[in-house]
Amino acid sequence: MSVVTRKLVMKELYVNRWMIGSAGVGAALAAAVAPLGKTAFNVGALTWLTVVIAYGAMLAIHGVMNERKEQSLQFVLSLPISIGDYVRAKLLGLFLCFLVLWTIAVTAAIAMVLIAPDVPDGLLPFTLALSLYMLTNFAVLLCGALYARSEGLVTAVIVITNMAISIFMFTVGAMPEIQDHLHSPTPVWNRTIFNVFIVELIVLVIALALPLATAARRRDFL
Amino acid sequence: MTLTKHIEMRGVGKAYRFFSLQDISFELEPGQVMGFVGPNGAGKSTTIRLAMGLIAADVGEIRVLGCPMPEAQAFAKRDVGYVSADMRLIPGATLGWHMNLAASIYPSWDAAYAATLIRRFNLRAEQLARSLSHGEHIKAALLLALARRPRLLILDEPTTGLDPVARHELLTEFMDVLRDDSRSILFSSHNTVDVERISDRITFLDRGRIVASSDKEEFLERWRRIEVQLPQGGTLPELPHIVGRASDGHFHTLTTNQFSDELVGRLGNTVRNVQRMTLEEIFVANVMYHREARQ
Repeated sequence: MSVVTRKLVMKELYVNRWMIGSAGVGAALAAAVAPLGKTAFNVGALTWLTVVIAYGAMLAIHGVMNERKEQSLQFVLSLPISIGDYVRAKLLGLFLCFLVLWTIAVTAAIAMVLIAPDVPDGLLPFTLALSLYMLTNFAVLLCGALYARSEGLVTAVIVITNMAISIFMFTVGAMPEIQDHLHSPTPVWNRTIFNVFIVELIVLVIALALPLATAARRRDFL
Repeated sequence: MTLTKHIEMRGVGKAYRFFSLQDISFELEPGQVMGFVGPNGAGKSTTIRLAMGLIAADVGEIRVLGCPMPEAQAFAKRDVGYVSADMRLIPGATLGWHMNLAASIYPSWDAAYAATLIRRFNLRAEQLARSLSHGEHIKAALLLALARRPRLLILDEPTTGLDPVARHELLTEFMDVLRDDSRSILFSSHNTVDVERISDRITFLDRGRIVASSDKEEFLERWRRIEVQLPQGGTLPELPHIVGRASDGHFHTLTTNQFSDELVGRLGNTVRNVQRMTLEEIFVANVMYHREARQ
């Protein structure tokens, strides 16, 4: 990785630092509120999900769409980099930005499940599957945002990936091999949950590799 | 020893749905300032973006500082400063952050010169880019480009939307760049006054084509407006190199792009006045002549 690409990766962390900080605090607070009762659990879980989803969408909008719209892309591309370097830096930089918040949010959620006496530990496998799904979902969103040139298309990708989270919760959460163990006192790590992890990881890798094979090879980027 | 040309374009073309750039060929030598003049939509920005490797040509060959574009853009752009009127810095970062970024990327970064420019342009390092006005944005982008001391400056309408004082400040800085004759500037504008002030070579573009390219002095020497008053019943002789004519009764105004004493001699004592033309007049006459010739 060239010096300029490294600088651009760091640039993403710098310009999004306030968003990372505030979203991190928001997700941690939401997880902290969840064990305080049934209503608090629902409010906390919903807030936690909203913070992570909204943060991902904001990153795609600010980091990719607005950079193009507000013409700062021209400044970045005037630096000694190729289109491929730009796509690599953007992909890595924004993914790192998401990863920082994701790590905070997931750590808080795991801690909440394991520490809170009223929250069953059986929720842990599904919490991890959902968390990994959200990471994958962001990678898909980023892939779409880097590929799409129009604002409308990026918005469509945001809407579709957001809807996909609800679909994931309703379908994966309803699988008997998972649903039956959600209220268990100890986590149950069965073949189904591992298969979910494997599929998520495969999609994650594809979503991260795709922009390098498509957007990075573009000859016209403006 | 042959010096590497700073920009070479040969037969470059780029087609869009409603616009196409056709057969663009020109060279920019070290130490030269080329003014790219054209009306809105002439293809100036497209040509400049091609030179910067931001878009790729459909046909033709582009080399910048000897590097093929866009393939070797990462290497070529180490020595190219690019500023465009619609370019914006990163909104959430300060000018100081941008300066640190440039200093860490370009070994040639001149911190003392950057400090001089920041004072001269009345900017502040701690200002967030999103709080800069249009003029301040252009000045900040120029500061970042100039303080790197690049061999080639590519400026796309940098004076557009600036007040006369700001324009004067920027043009003065460009003149300063040219004290080093190994550096060159490609400068696009539809403001012919700015172009005339700093350019030594001028290329006119219209509707995606180069309509003329020459030294500034050559343009100014070759183009003339000749006012003729014919006697009763007199007719204008057939004259070469007349690219425009307007008539009002016995009075005729001829525009030539190849002025010579011989031409005046052929008109004899019917000539009432011979006027030098400004670059703007030459530009307009040139564009109109080529548009009519194409129709």
